[in-house]
Order: sequence, then structure tokens, then C-alpha cells
Amino acid sequence: MSPNVTLSFDSLSRVDASARFGFGSCPQYLTSISGPIEVRLAAEQPSQATIEVHVRPLTNVPGTESKTVAVILKEAIQMEVIVEANPRTLIQFVVQALVPTPKVTDELVAAMINCCTLSLLNAGSIPMRGVICAVSVARVSSVNGEESMYKIQPVEEHPSRIQATGCFAFLFSDSYSSNTYSSSCVWTSWRSLHPGSLKAVEESELARARDAAQKPAREVWERMKSLVEEGERVKRKETWIKDASHSTEAKKMDVGEEDVNMEI
Amino acid sequence: MRPPSPSIPEKDFLFAALKQGLRLDGREFLETRPVTLTFGPELGWVECSLGKTRVLAQVDAKMVKPPPERPFEGFITIHSELSPMASSEFELGRPSEEEVTITRMLDKVIRRSDVVDKESLCILSGQRVWHLRLNVHCLSDSGNLLDCVCLAGIVALKHFRRPDVEVVGEEVTVHPPTFRAPIPLSLHHNPYCFTFAFFSDTSLNPVLDPNLLEQRLNGGLMSIALNAQRELCVVQKSGGVPLEPGDILKIVNVAALKAKDLDAFVESRLQEDWEGRKIEIR
Repeated sequence: MSPNVTLSFDSLSRVDASARFGFGSCPQYLTSISGPIEVRLAAEQPSQATIEVHVRPLTNVPGTESKTVAVILKEAIQMEVIVEANPRTLIQFVVQALVPTPKVTDELVAAMINCCTLSLLNAGSIPMRGVICAVSVARVSSVNGEESMYKIQPVEEHPSRIQATGCFAFLFSDSYSSNTYSSSCVWTSWRSLHPGSLKAVEESELARARDAAQKPAREVWERMKSLVEEGERVKRKETWIKDASHSTEAKKMDVGEEDVNMEI
Repeated sequence: MRPPSPSIPEKDFLFAALKQGLRLDGREFLETRPVTLTFGPELGWVECSLGKTRVLAQVDAKMVKPPPERPFEGFITIHSELSPMASSEFELGRPSEEEVTITRMLDKVIRRSDVVDKESLCILSGQRVWHLRLNVHCLSDSGNLLDCVCLAGIVALKHFRRPDVEVVGEEVTVHPPTFRAPIPLSLHHNPYCFTFAFFSDTSLNPVLDPNLLEQRLNGGLMSIALNAQRELCVVQKSGGVPLEPGDILKIVNVAALKAKDLDAFVESRLQEDWEGRKIEIR
């Protein structure tokens, strides 16, 4: 089940980077990031960068829910950004909702986390230890009520059939091996919607839900990677076109050659 | 910490260029930046950009009980707060002078100049009226946020369609958009705002639609809001270099011409967008 995502880099002029992300066909969030920049004396930390997240809904003043989500995002970002690299600075995130969000669901939290990650990738000025991608999972009982399956992004499901739901965030990093990018779950909000002895959350169930979320999260990560690659390929093509106008024979370089010729 | 732009070399360069009749981005003195309007999937959602300055506006409506002193009218509230996304200089919760100006101008241009016909927002007098909410988010401040904000607000109001309501006696039925086509708001007129920047050196002519550097180095700003029918709604000049009456009239004439062009552009964009949507099937 690959999630249908819309993602793009944006070009806001007064911040260091911005990106849009949404599950579905239109972007749900626009995140901008500025950093590392000057920090207020009160918020300064002597050995690490301060991370500030502002979540702004489309309608209404930001309220308690926005504050809760901002705390969640800050935790997720702290895990992927190497904050010790830039002490006494500020990394400022502003997450702007592009669609009305009367209630912040797990899907929206996942979208926000992915959006922040995407804007970090666009910035390039902030050292990261990995890339965090998130998806939301729900355990849905089937129509006859006996079996239950794990579904990604279950927006259309009948609410009474959803037994437990949550968002899983995975950190993709190549710190462990160079061939494959391993992922580890760094944050979750898995909870049962019917608290009580019969339908409470069990450890094995949590593990199953997490395994169900791993593959879609990897697919989201692949999409982010291909977005970055696209941007790089367009830039290289442009320089190739400029060079070709000077040289007599146009050499067509494909991606493999480019990697070989790329200098580090 | 690096002191905020502009630096002295930037200032000198700008003034020297203006003395020669050149603007740093190559525009004429009375030329605005290109306007682009992007409409969202939902009605009433528009992202407006004036060059690199970008603003997002969204309108939504809900039914509420009207206040007792005005039982026959709906009302409109405008919410605009600058976030650090527009620029890291803006702090949340501490409105800068520019933010206060924007809030007040939006209020004057959209609410006090009676853009929306409030009586048409009444459903059942004394009990149910439409409460329109206009949310404006500044995404990027590259100079002249004010014009962009006003334009986004007006276009969002023009783009929005409210659900069709049927009143039978005391019963109110709201028809969802899937059953009956939503109807547009009834607007009295469409004001557009134009900001001119003056400089302390009075030999320099005013520039229309200042970009960030010009706005920072201005010696006075004058904003004029008017509609395409040459009716002035708001003339705002708060402080700055004193102006001759002749200069002001010249500026008003320039703004009137620009308003006509802008109005034609907005209408054509709205028409294009409307044709691309399937709102009603006949």
C-alpha cells in the first residue's frame, strides 16, 4: 500500500528553505525553516542549537492543539538534527496549514513531520543525522467484526471500525551500513481508541503496527530522495546546456557517469 | 549580530540609482511587479504573489446568532498575523509597526469601506446570519506586504462561494454544495490598494510598489485604496516627507489607472479558474 503523497520544494524569499507536503493530491502543509540564525538571549543554549517550532492553522488563532503538535514536532526534529554542531544559534520552523484542520489527526501529524524533514533537506545548512519520515496507521476491524487489518491513512474508514490508531516516525540513516539505509522507529503515538481490558494496546500489537508502517514510510522516503535528485538533475542539465553551446560535440551524460565524475 | 539591512553601501547605491531614474530591479518608477494568483482546490482559497512577496488568503463562513444591536446584518472578521515565515524579524505575539499598519489598512479597506453587502448575509433576522472569516497569512515579505495582503483579501472574497440556504418560515435549511450550487458573495465594490514610497531627497520621484530595499529606505509611504470606478476608499499617509497637493493628485491618477488594469486582470483570472472547475451541472 503505497501512500499517495504530494511534495515539492518551495521558494519563499525571506527564509532559508521551504517545502510543501501532503498526503493525497494537494499539499496540506507548507513549512519554512530559517537557521542557524541569531537567537534571543533567553532561549540561547550554550552547547546546542535551540529549535523553535511554530504551528499555524489555516483558520483561527493557533491554540492549544497547535502547541501540542509543536512540541511533538520539536521532539522529532531534535532526533534528526545534530544540534551540538551549532551552539548558541536558533533553528526556526514555521509550519503553516494549507487546508482547514478542525482536528489534528494522526495523518496530519505525519504530514507535518514529513514537511519539516523536506524543508530541512531543502535548506542544506543544518547538519542532520538522518531523515525522518512518518506515516499513520490504524487497526481497522473488518465488516463482520472478526478480523482486523492494519491500514495506512485510513481517512475514509468508518470511525467506529477503527480500534487503535497512531503515527509512526522512522529515522532513515546510513550510519549503520553503507549499502542499505536502515530505519528505526523513533516516535509513535499509537493508542487504542477503546480503552479497557479487552481492547487495550499490547506489545505484540504495537510491533505489528510498526512493521506495517515501515514499508510505506520507506516509500515516502524514496519519494523525498527522488525529489532531491530531480532538483539536482535539472541543475546539472542546465550547466550541460550552457557548456554544449560552447563545445563542438555535445556529450550526453547519464546519471551513472555523473556519479563517477562527481567530485567530493 | 549583523545589523539589519540596509547597509550604507546599499543605501548609497539605491539613491544613486534612483537619481539616475533607475530602479534596482529594472522596473519603471510607476510599474508594479508581476501579479500571480493561484487558486486552491477549495473556493475562497487564493495565494497571491507580487513579485517575491507572497500572501495566502482564505475565506470561510459559518452561521451564528447576530448581536442584538444589529439583527439584520451578517459580519466579517479579518485575521492577519505575521509569522516568522514572512521574515525571521517578525516575532509572534509582538506586533511590529508594519503589522499594525497592515491590520488597520485591511480593516479600513475591507470592512469599513463596506465591500461585502452585510444585509445579504442575513438568513433569519435576529437568529441566524453568516459570519465570514477572512484569514490572511503572509508567507514571504519582499516589500509591499500591504498591497499584496489587500489584493489577496479581495480576490479571496470574490472567489468564495457560500452554501445555498433556504428559509421556510422559521426553518432554515442549508444545502450542501453537492445538492445545490453555492452562491457567490454579494460585493458592493472591489477596492485595490497601491503603495507609493517617497524618499527624503525630494528630487526623487515616488516609486510604486516598493521592493524590500526601497521600503526600508523610504522617507514616507502613501497607500491609496480605490476601486476601478475611480472611487477612493482609503488614503493613508502616516508621517514621512511632506507632499504638495499637486503631487498627491498625480499619484491618485496613477493609482486610478493601475486599479483599472488590476481589476481587469483579476476578473480574467477568476474567469479562467471558474471555467476549470465543475461547480454546477445543468
